[in-house]
Amino acid sequence: MKRGKVSKKRHPMVAVGIALMVVFLAELLVYTWCRVQYVRTGYEITEATNHHQRLVELHRKLKVEEARLRSPERIMRIAQQRGLVMPDSKQVVVIP
Amino acid sequence: MRIWRTKKPDPLKWIRFRIIIVGSVLGVCFAFIVVRAFQFQVVEGRQLHSEAAVRYTRAYHDTSKRGTIYERNHAELALSVDVDSICAHPKQIQSPKRVARRLAQVLNLRNASVREKLCSGKSFVWIKRHVDPAEDSVVRALKIDGIDFVTESRRFYPLKSLAAQVVGFCGVDGRGLEGLEFYYDAFLKGRESRRTVLRDALGRGFTEELFSEGQPGYNLILNIDKNIQYIAEQALSEGVRKFWAKSGMALVIVPRTGAILAMAHVPRFNPNAFGQYKPWVWRNRALTDPFEPGSTFKILLVGAALESGTCTPDSKFYCEEGAYRIGRKVVHDVHPHAELSLQDILKYSSNIGAAKVGEKLSPVYFYNKLKEFGLGEKLGVDCPGETSGSLRPVRSWSQIDAGAICFGQGVSMSSLQLAMAVSAIANDGVLMKPYLVNEITDVQGRTIKRFQPIALRRVISPEKARDLTRMMRRTVEKGGTGVEAALMGYNVAGKTGTAQKVDQEAGGYAKDKYMASFVGFVPAENPAILVLVAIDEPQEEHYGGMVAAPVFRRIASKTLRYLKIPSKPATPGQAHPEGPQRPAERLRVSHGEPQMG
Repeated sequence: MKRGKVSKKRHPMVAVGIALMVVFLAELLVYTWCRVQYVRTGYEITEATNHHQRLVELHRKLKVEEARLRSPERIMRIAQQRGLVMPDSKQVVVIP
Repeated sequence: MRIWRTKKPDPLKWIRFRIIIVGSVLGVCFAFIVVRAFQFQVVEGRQLHSEAAVRYTRAYHDTSKRGTIYERNHAELALSVDVDSICAHPKQIQSPKRVARRLAQVLNLRNASVREKLCSGKSFVWIKRHVDPAEDSVVRALKIDGIDFVTESRRFYPLKSLAAQVVGFCGVDGRGLEGLEFYYDAFLKGRESRRTVLRDALGRGFTEELFSEGQPGYNLILNIDKNIQYIAEQALSEGVRKFWAKSGMALVIVPRTGAILAMAHVPRFNPNAFGQYKPWVWRNRALTDPFEPGSTFKILLVGAALESGTCTPDSKFYCEEGAYRIGRKVVHDVHPHAELSLQDILKYSSNIGAAKVGEKLSPVYFYNKLKEFGLGEKLGVDCPGETSGSLRPVRSWSQIDAGAICFGQGVSMSSLQLAMAVSAIANDGVLMKPYLVNEITDVQGRTIKRFQPIALRRVISPEKARDLTRMMRRTVEKGGTGVEAALMGYNVAGKTGTAQKVDQEAGGYAKDKYMASFVGFVPAENPAILVLVAIDEPQEEHYGGMVAAPVFRRIASKTLRYLKIPSKPATPGQAHPEGPQRPAERLRVSHGEPQMG
């Protein structure tokens, strides 16, 4: 009879303990999930930043190339190769 | 009788005993953990935290990207791109001699130099800075332990030698060393950022903390136009090559504003490899090197004479039939003249006539007027190394000094000073401040600072400036010294100059060294551009009218067409116009006696 009473009294404590344990574990899992997400997002941000920097750098290199291709010296050389000449002042009509 | 009965062991007691033992062991373990945790977290926490931080964090100091330099139409003249530099950690290299041999071969370096670096015992050495992508990929493919790659910013000048003396260049550390790169370094370099990156075991960064935010460098937008600059450089190169000259300079300026559209130098240099050229070639000589202007100076003399009211364009001066004694010296004209009007003195560039005009002026007035034209002072152009030229105090002028200054000897000025002084005539008598940079913008293109034209002072009245312009137009008409500068469809106002150079070794003037120059503006009635051409030590021919004036014509005609300045029918008396029929006309005009400019 005594033991039965004791076991009856312990039941709610065990239930509370298990509940606390579940909450604790759930919190642990959520926290871990958050940390993992944080790190993964950090990686993604780093990768995106690096990608952006690579594109910016590529853009700058293309601008260098564009500037080189549009240099007056090169255009004049190509024009001369194709027989083009600067127009005479009489051949130029300036439209106001 | 007592009966002993064996007591049956209590299983519950045994269980309790085991629980106590296990509990004690676990308790001790837990206590140990708690103690260690306390030790790690509290007692040694700070020290351990800092040790760990060293392993998984890395501090970065990112140098900001240097601003871009654009010409007036936003074409890049200078910009920075990331390139790799190769470095080494010599202590980590297994066989330095073999590695040195391989690297020297791939990177085109001296084997001994690389070997010395790798055997130095230092923890870090640079092998080669700013390698090109091909070299970079080859070295990466070698996969040598102890060889590392650092990304750095490198300055590129895509138009190579175009306006190189104006733009200047940067050193390997990204600091401006010459030209606008040096002058505007504080704006261009920006501010570096500091951040800490957390890294995983593989060294990959996954989060970062920013300590101080960087600021990219500002951009410069120049007044220089790459097409006009190219026109000026090409024409100048042809002129220098044709006459085997030592060097040359050409300026194209908007007289109304003082904006510099082109500043050409020959010889040129490539700022991407500036180390391969002699330092004097780097200099922006148009504003750093003074020279005696010669007869172009007569423009300022005549301007002062008109403004003083002592002379009119038709005032007559006896020119002594080609030889005139001043003190112990005799001044000569290339072609003797008897009597010339003031405007003919300018047209035929008579030295004796100029000296006589100078005699009518008060020396103090003339000196002050020259100061007002900008002689002997810096104009404040936004480029380093500007000279103030030299104009001696009037009290130290001897009789011959006063005479010689009238035709541009005994004074010195830079090409820019001369160009701006003549620009004042084109600008109705108002001297403008020359400027190269039109605007400073941030990385998004927003204007940080815009430079406006600045009028320094009025030098002569608008009426006198227009009189002088009319007189200068006669210089390029038939019989004048500057007929080779005439343009079809435009009225040119200009003046030739042929100045003997000072012999630095022997003293006095060298017999065979001249500075040939021409300065003029066009269209004379509403000047759009002023062009100055100065060619140093031309051979075979040395007159400004023969050497510099044709270069002026080429620059001015192409620039006017480029700027879409409409032409007008040539006025009667205008000398040979350019065009298909020009060679024959030029031949005819060439017979018109060229004067000493």
